[in-house]
Amino acid sequence: MDAKLKETILNPIFKGNPITVLVLGICSSLAVTVEMKGACVMALSVILVTGLSSLVCSLLRKTIPNRVRIIIQLVVVALMVILVDQFLKAYAYGIDKQLSVYIGLIITNCIVMGRIEAFALSNKPLPSLLDGLANGAGYGLILIVVAFFRELLGSGTLFGLPVLSALGYTNNGLVILPPMALIILGCIVWIQRAIQKDLQEK
Amino acid sequence: MNTNSNLYTVIYTSVVCVLVAAILAFVSQALAPHQEANEKAETISQILTAARFADKSEWDSKGNDAILSFYKENVEKAWLVNARGEESGTLDISKAEIVTVSGLKKQNYAIKDGSELSLPVYRFKNGITVVPIYGAGLWGPVWGYIAFQSDLKTIAGAYFDHESETPGLGGKIKDDPAFRAQFDGNYPDFKGTKDEVFEIVKGGSPKDKEGKDVADNKIDAITGATMTSKGLDEAIDTWLEAYKPILNR
Repeated sequence: MDAKLKETILNPIFKGNPITVLVLGICSSLAVTVEMKGACVMALSVILVTGLSSLVCSLLRKTIPNRVRIIIQLVVVALMVILVDQFLKAYAYGIDKQLSVYIGLIITNCIVMGRIEAFALSNKPLPSLLDGLANGAGYGLILIVVAFFRELLGSGTLFGLPVLSALGYTNNGLVILPPMALIILGCIVWIQRAIQKDLQEK
Repeated sequence: MNTNSNLYTVIYTSVVCVLVAAILAFVSQALAPHQEANEKAETISQILTAARFADKSEWDSKGNDAILSFYKENVEKAWLVNARGEESGTLDISKAEIVTVSGLKKQNYAIKDGSELSLPVYRFKNGITVVPIYGAGLWGPVWGYIAFQSDLKTIAGAYFDHESETPGLGGKIKDDPAFRAQFDGNYPDFKGTKDEVFEIVKGGSPKDKEGKDVADNKIDAITGATMTSKGLDEAIDTWLEAYKPILNR
């Protein structure tokens, strides 16, 4: 694999992480990080949707009229999400029941549109697909880290199994509420900028 | 080709719209029978879970046909009642006919504006009677099923579901077995106003000196999900009030 493709895949995971560096998708990362299970399901669905919609938009990139490109992108993303939802409803109802809450959140997720606009419209299909998948993964990684602390400290459990609560830990109500997601996110950004000096503003 | 001309833009967007609409319409039509069958089996499994035949996860692993046949074997009678508690229709047991969530939504409007009701009641051979509830949560509808013992007063079990409550907060009405378990052994109280029929409040029932619950119609709400708890409380109040004629007060 050549260096450029490798960079496309690895960059969004840490150095150019969509949440901590590009600050995209903050809204949904507050909403779905109360428990690990939800965060994992959301992470997987976003990876799928960013990958597929980046691929389709990249295939269409030479035909899309510049003035209406945002609307066309939106239609493609919405189509993908609805199709996935419809098929799950018919053939994997149990999974769809868990996902249904997230479907709306995926369509409005800034990362999907952001990556199509910034990358897929000016690159070939294969790099676009990889860029979409990698950005979804970078987003999911942060989601899971935040959810780990929120579920552990807020409910004393992980994946619904008692961990701290088995040791007599008193649940912290603040961690359950959205502000704590921002605080944890802030700490992650802090740590990342301490490691990666070139991100610090002068 | 000039992709920025007006004509091209109009034609392109029109083609995309028609194409996407056609794909969605086709997929929706083609998958509808599967989806309806799934929804029906899901509703029945929720009723059976409320009646404590088995846990929800167990039904989910069984598949639609097993759920339907279990229901047909164990249900004694399924019928519709009006606002006076009189029988206004029957549901065909051999076809496992039930009222799905969209039907409950219509009945919820009927309860609110006082028009003619046909509310479903499911009675099982072991004496358990299940009635549905429906109302508004924080982001969308919440609904569920409450099972009564054969005295038609004591709650034997409950199961709730929602369309879009926040996972980990309001979503706990469905996902947290400890929340549902609180209903067991409690009973609605029709002596006060409608709002006091059943209460989901912070702290649950007041306790006496020995730490026992004083009130049997109060349970503890969910932390961080005040609006969902209130919505569910309201839904239970409204629907049990509508079922009052057939319940034991």
